[in-house]
Parts: sequence; structure tokens; C-alpha cells
Amino acid sequence: MSETQNSVQLTVDGRAIDVPSGTLLIEACKSTGHEVPSFCYYPGLSLQAACRMCLVEIEKTPKLQTACTVVVQPGMIVRTETPQVAEARKNMLEFLLTNHPLDCPVCDKGGECELQDMVFRYGAAESRFVEEKEHQPEQQFSPIVYFDYPRCILCFRCVRVCDEAMDVKALGIGQRGVRTLIIPNRPDGTLECEECGMCIDICPVGALTSHQYRYKTRPWEMNYVGTPCAHCGDGCKTTLNVRNNQILRGNNRDMTGINGEFLCIKGRYAGDFTHHPERLRQPLLRRNGQLQPASWEEALGFVAQHLKEITKRSGPRTVGFLGSNRTTNEENYLLARFARTVVGTNNLDHHRTADFAALAGALHGEPVRYAASGDLSRASAILLVGNDPTHNHPLLAWNIRSAVRQHGAHLYIINSRRIKLRRQARQLVEIPSGKEAAAIEALHGAPTDISAATQQELATLRAALEKESDVIVLFGAEVFGSAVSRLVEFSRQLPGVTRYIALGDYANSRGAADMGLLPDRLPGYASLKDALTRKKWEQVWGAALPSEPGLHAKQMLGGNQLRALYVIGSNPVRTFGLPQTREALGELELLVVHELFLTETARLADVVLPAASAYEKDGTFTNTCGEVQRLKRALDPGAVRTDFEIIRLLSYAWGTPLPLRSSEAAFEEIRQHVRGYRVSQAQLVAGQAVRCAPTSGHAAADTPPGLVFSADDSLFTSGTLGRYSAALNSVSERDLPRSRL
Amino acid sequence: MPSILKEAAETAFTLAKGFSVTLRTLFRPTVTENYPDEPVRFEARYRGIHVLHRDENGLEKCVACFLCAAACPVQCIYIEAADNTAETRISASERYASVYNIDYSRCIFCGYCVEACPTDAITHGHGFELATYNIADMVYRKEDLLAQPLKPPRT
Ligand code: SF4
Ligand code: SF4
Ligand code: SF4
Ligand code: SF4
Ligand code: SF4
Ligand code: FES
Repeated sequence: MSETQNSVQLTVDGRAIDVPSGTLLIEACKSTGHEVPSFCYYPGLSLQAACRMCLVEIEKTPKLQTACTVVVQPGMIVRTETPQVAEARKNMLEFLLTNHPLDCPVCDKGGECELQDMVFRYGAAESRFVEEKEHQPEQQFSPIVYFDYPRCILCFRCVRVCDEAMDVKALGIGQRGVRTLIIPNRPDGTLECEECGMCIDICPVGALTSHQYRYKTRPWEMNYVGTPCAHCGDGCKTTLNVRNNQILRGNNRDMTGINGEFLCIKGRYAGDFTHHPERLRQPLLRRNGQLQPASWEEALGFVAQHLKEITKRSGPRTVGFLGSNRTTNEENYLLARFARTVVGTNNLDHHRTADFAALAGALHGEPVRYAASGDLSRASAILLVGNDPTHNHPLLAWNIRSAVRQHGAHLYIINSRRIKLRRQARQLVEIPSGKEAAAIEALHGAPTDISAATQQELATLRAALEKESDVIVLFGAEVFGSAVSRLVEFSRQLPGVTRYIALGDYANSRGAADMGLLPDRLPGYASLKDALTRKKWEQVWGAALPSEPGLHAKQMLGGNQLRALYVIGSNPVRTFGLPQTREALGELELLVVHELFLTETARLADVVLPAASAYEKDGTFTNTCGEVQRLKRALDPGAVRTDFEIIRLLSYAWGTPLPLRSSEAAFEEIRQHVRGYRVSQAQLVAGQAVRCAPTSGHAAADTPPGLVFSADDSLFTSGTLGRYSAALNSVSERDLPRSRL
Repeated sequence: MPSILKEAAETAFTLAKGFSVTLRTLFRPTVTENYPDEPVRFEARYRGIHVLHRDENGLEKCVACFLCAAACPVQCIYIEAADNTAETRISASERYASVYNIDYSRCIFCGYCVEACPTDAITHGHGFELATYNIADMVYRKEDLLAQPLKPPRT
């Protein structure tokens, strides 16, 4: 694009500039620092030319032209700041204000309204319009979206973002002329959509507002904290708007972060779980069969004493640890260190939602083969096996859609469901559920038990893929163990550099695996069997490591091999579908749970320790593509403690204090010693997402079935956190079958 | 000798001059305020403790726009906004102030808030008796600032 023969020279306000041919004049002006005001133009969406705010003077053209629709021509001489242009803008504003109410004092947009800013700049405060204004009462489109007709300036950004970028098409345009208005898709005047709030955020005025923020406060009254979203594994950056230690909404107006302006309903509105009334605020200790409030000293003392006693009496192999998909890298690392060096057990696992270990094994030594989330939107070809990104990975689905829409990328899908992304796909091969591994074999041309017709389709898919280059392969939890290596084997013969993304469910699923919350792997997927690596980690941690691989999650849960189980930030009773009884977990003498809420597992525990959420602590998360981001504490956790602190205090109470005093210290140790995590601190501190690529060089052991599975959350659920989010629980689409969306 | 006479005359003159002020003032209207025995009189534009007004229907005029809080140079105004609903209507507009506090240990009575208010909801009243032994009492809540309802609610 930037080659000289493809660039166009023009003059904007007396300054000669060079821009790629095909650039819109409005973007060319922007590149000189002259922002041309616009309402209907929005980068990445189709052109509308509805608002006429972007009028500029072009020499030798008799009338003012809309800069948002004119493509630059060589030798163009453009003026954006003449009195004539200013007058035109003022007059356009007067038009926009003919029906606009004088609502600024009560309008949610006041203080961050593009119309307000424009009127302030160009002035059209005096209205010559004396006729009565069109009025209609405010409408509630959905539990999330409100529409205030008189404030709408008919820029149709909302309609286009929902149609083109979200591919939901829930908003339309009704009536005509002065009565034109935005209408939702249900006949009764309500919305059935993904409730992403994109339309609310993109609306330049206060016509679309959200239930959560509506009439609560003002933009200048809040603190803004940009931090990775606490929900799915995509790691969007959400700027939390906080007042009085309460999250009022999230957005990403400054477009920093890997997600640009995109956020789904969870990143935007589901921060409300943090102040749910059922949030645990103090430790609970079981006395006389009842969980009763206790002090931190008492609870930690109890845990340390009993855990130590059990370890001594029945050996460290009878103690197990289940880590979390939502705790920070530092916390996971500290847990791995605590379990392995202080307790001396390898019984350490977590709910694996993607087989990251198998991918790391299959790619050993080739970090470039991990694709970042942004690579997806620039991809030329994408192969998706399993998973439903629209629900489980809304950002990646958004990126896939934009790759298809803006660059004509080719999407190929192998799935057991007719997922929504089929609308973007060149080819969807529907396979029976659970046959993903067989489908991969069929791609190899090996005989399988799938029907001949499907095999034929897969052969066509293979032929098409062989014509693509630089394919990005995404796969869900359906593909695990040796199927991952088979998939990598197949796709690596494709032309160009094939890159991969394993799709894991929650905010730090990838981090949990990377930090070694696995029974047979040390941090960075280093094999426990390898004496040399074991020695390296023994030196780093200054303690001997047990060399026998530990029990995995399924063996720990109800395998009757454990006397004590320590669960951090997960709810195995529900995720593993166990009966809600203590017996179902095995003959445990001690069950300790760190949680935000009294989950099914926490109810069975002897000690429940209230933990801080991701919005209440520092640390780092690694998203499912392997991009590390730093958390920024948005809320004061009050009496609850971070998992990091709890583990550290426990190590003190145990009598073997872990030397890592802060999560910064832990991260430094991770940077030094976990292969592939030597990321730039400066970039992290600046809030960027930094790619990491843990490579152990150790081939993957095969993963037994039943260990890697997705919780298959929808857009409106998010494990335990989702159950305590009023926003997620309020939407009616939650109960609709997925195929409706 | 003449010096004695002159001195006497000068004394008499000075006394007369001095007492003439006393005498004149004796017949002028009194300006001394007998506070606290008698109520204090104020100039109309005296800036005392704020009053949050009601409109002609008895609804609160404040729409919780936060502009007074934004204008306040010492940031002593704290507001929480909420939605008027069909069942409970507090103000005439869409929103109202569910919490409205002014911290008089910080307020400098500059009147900027009054100037900022788009609905004339807040003005300075003539209250000034703010002294207290407990600084927490200096935070006045909406209930303390709000003008009385027009009519007592029917029972
Ligand atoms: S949309 Fe903007 S200009 Fe219109 S009332 Fe709201 S803040 Fe004011
Ligand atoms: S919330 Fe999202 S899906 Fe729903 S109408 Fe708005 S843009 Fe469309
Ligand atoms: S609701 Fe907002 S985004 Fe949609 S057309 Fe109206 S002003 Fe534009
Ligand atoms: S896509 Fe995932 S990370 Fe992004 S806002 Fe939604 S839940 Fe959060
Ligand atoms: S008193 Fe006036 S300026 Fe202050 S919030 Fe109420 S309406 Fe706004
Ligand atoms: S921005 Fe060009 S017409 Fe609206």
C-alpha cells in the first residue's frame, strides 16, 4: 500500500501530504492533524454521508464536499478551516439541533458527547427553530439497551456496527423524514441480540444508553482503570469506570488494547459481580458441622495446622491442589511452588479448557507459530476446528468477522454444530459430535469411521486449504492430546507459515497451564521426568522436587487417594458434574476453598477463604493466544485477600515462608526462569499485550480423555462469576437456544 | 491669662463637638443586632447555608446533573443520582439526586454552585449557624438542605 507508485499527493490546509491511493479524504486530513468533525463516518464501517458535518472545501469544486466519501485524488487542494467551512458546520449543527432536546444536564452523554463538543466548538446555540419539537418517550429496548428518540441524530452508526461488525442486524431504521427512528428487531419493540453494547458505545450522542450507567453519575466523577477483562480467555482490555469502589461500566474508548473498541456484554457490564450482596467477605470455618465466620488468623492457622498434620501422617501424595483459570500468573506460579516445594506433592491440576500443553509440545522450539489475536483480523485464511467463538471467544469471533469482511479472508470450519460463524465461512463441514479427532485423521487422508459424505467434504476442505497460505488454525477443547499433534502435523504441510491458537475458556486458562498447574509439568511445560529441568527448578526454588507425576484432576476428585484437597478459585463439583456431597469428593479430612462466592464446592469445605477478584488485584494474565497483560487494581478489596497473599500467609503459618513477597517479585522470577516468558516489562507497564511463547522442547504426553473440556459458556454466562452478575442474568437471550443468535 | 480662657473655650468646643456626635446618633435608627436575643437581618444576597428548592408542584428542582459539584472549587458537594420511576417521582426530570451532601467544613460560600445550576435548584440561604463540636456534623445531607414541601402531605 505504501509504495510510491500507489501513493497520492495532495495539499491539506497548505500542507503537502502523501497518502496511499484509495484513502478517504477525511482520513487523509486526520493524518495531518486536522480532525474533520464527523458523526456518521466511523472507521471500519460502511459509508453513510448522512450528517454532512465533514464538509470541506476542495479547490475547483464549486460546492463543499463531504470528506468522508471523497477518495483522495492527485493534486487535490483541500481546506478544512475556512470561514465558509466553519459556517457550514455551524448550520449543519443547527439542523441537528432542530429536534434535539435541551437535555444535557440530565443526559448520560453530557461531558463526553460529540454533539455537545461540536456545538461548543462551532456554536449554534441560538436556534431559529420555533416550531414544536418532535417528541417520543424513552424506550427500553432490552434490559441493557435504552433508546431516547429525541436525542438521536440519525447517524446510523448503531445500525451499521450491529449489522456489519457484530453480524447481528438487530437494529433497523423506521419511519422517514423528521420522524425517522431506530427500531429494534422484535415486533413488540424490544431487542433480541448479543447485548454487546457496541451500539451504545458507538452512539455519538446520548440516544442509546445502558441500564447500568443510566442516570447514575457523570463521566468526570469516575476513575478510569484499564485492565484485562475478568471473563473469557480473549483478554480484551476494558476500561472500568469506577465510582465509590463500584464498577459502573466498562468500555474501551481510547481503543488501546488488543480489542480496539470491541467488548462483549461481559467486559462492558459484567463487572457487577464484584459487589454482589452474596460476595464472601470473611473467612468461614466449619464448626459443629456449620460454616461460621472466623478471623483470618484463625482460619489460616487451622488450614496450616491440619494440612501439615495430614502431610506428615499420610504423606504428601495424599494432598491435592486444584488451581484456577481466573487467578493471575503470579498466583498460579506461587501455588505451583507451594504445592511442589512446601507440601512436596505433584498432585496439582486445574480444569483444563484447552490442551495448551499438547500444543506447546507439538510446536516445540517454534514460538513464531503461536498466532496473536490481532493476527486473526489480518489473516488470509483461517481454519477453525470445534468451539463456538461467537459465544466462547467473542473477541476472536469479531476479529475473524473483520478479517472476512475487510480483507476477504477465507474461513473454513469443522464443527459438530452449525455455529454462527458459518455465515462468514467458505465451507463448514458438519461432523458428528466427538468426531473432531477422526475428522483430523480424515484430513490426513487416513481411514476413519466418519460417513463417506463427510469424508468427501473434508477432502474438498483439504484441497481448498492446500491452495491457501499462512493459515491460522484455531481449535477448541474438542481437540486434545494426540489429535493436537495430528492437527499440527497436517497443517504444517500447508503453504506459508501456519500459526495456531488453542481456545481456552477463562481469563487465565492459558496462564494456569503455562505456570505449570499440571501434575506432570513444571512452569513453561517443562517435563517433570526430565532430570535436568527438575534440577534447574530445584535450584531456582531452593528445595527438592518430587519426581513422580502427580494425580490429575479426575483422579483427585473422588478417587479416594487424597486426604486433603485444596481448591483455589474453581468449582469442581459443578464443572466436573459431581453430586453435591462431601463423599463425592473422596474420603477427605480437609477441604479448603478460596472463593468469591459460596459455590457448590465451597459449601462442602471445612475452610472457605474469601478471595479478591481480578479487578481487585495486581498481577498478569495470559490470554488464550499467549498475550501477557498486566492487571490494574480498580477496586479496593476491603477485607478479602488476594490468592497470592493467602498462599504466602499460609506458607508463613506452615513454617516454610515462600520468599516471593509481591506479585512483581513473582513475575520477575517467572520472566527469568519460565522459557518464553522473558517479555518486556516496559511494554507491560505501558499497558500493552506482550506475546509470550512458552516452549519446553519436551514432547507432549498424551492427555487422557475427560480432562480437557470446555465449560461451553455462552455470551451470557461466565462460570461462577456469571452467576453473580445481575447484568448477565437480566437478559432474556440467556435462555434462548443458541441457534437463534 | 488669655491662655487659660483660650484653653477653657477650646475644651468646651471639643466637648460640644464630641457630644454632638453622640447626640446625633441618639436620634438615628439603631443598627446593632441583638443576636442571639433577636433574629439577625440579612441582605438579600447574603451567601449562607444552601437551600435545595422545589418547583411549583412540590417536586425537587435538582436533576442531579453534577454541575454544581463540578463547579465547586473545594469539591465539597457529593451527589448520587438515580432514576425517577413511574411509582416514585422525586424530580420533574428523568433523574434526581438520591444523595446530596455539602461538607460545610470545606465550603467557602463562593456561590459557584448556584451559578452553575441549570435548574435554579440550589441557592444560598441565610442560615449561618454552623458551629458544632463534631466535624462530622458539618456534612449536611439533602434532608437538611431541602426546602419544606409546599403543603404538608395529606394524611
Ligand atoms: S446528546 Fe449530547 S447534546 Fe444532546 S442532550 Fe445529550 S449531552 Fe446534550
Ligand atoms: S447491543 Fe450489540 S447486538 Fe445488540 S443491538 Fe446493540 S450492537 Fe446490536
Ligand atoms: S441512536 Fe445514536 S448511533 Fe444510532 S443513529 Fe441515533 S445517534 Fe446515531
Ligand atoms: S470477549 Fe472475552 S475478554 Fe473480551 S470483553 Fe468479552 S468476555 Fe471479556
Ligand atoms: S443542584 Fe443544580 S447543579 Fe447541582 S446537581 Fe442539582 S440541578 Fe445540577
Ligand atoms: S461524516 Fe461525512 S457526512 Fe457524516
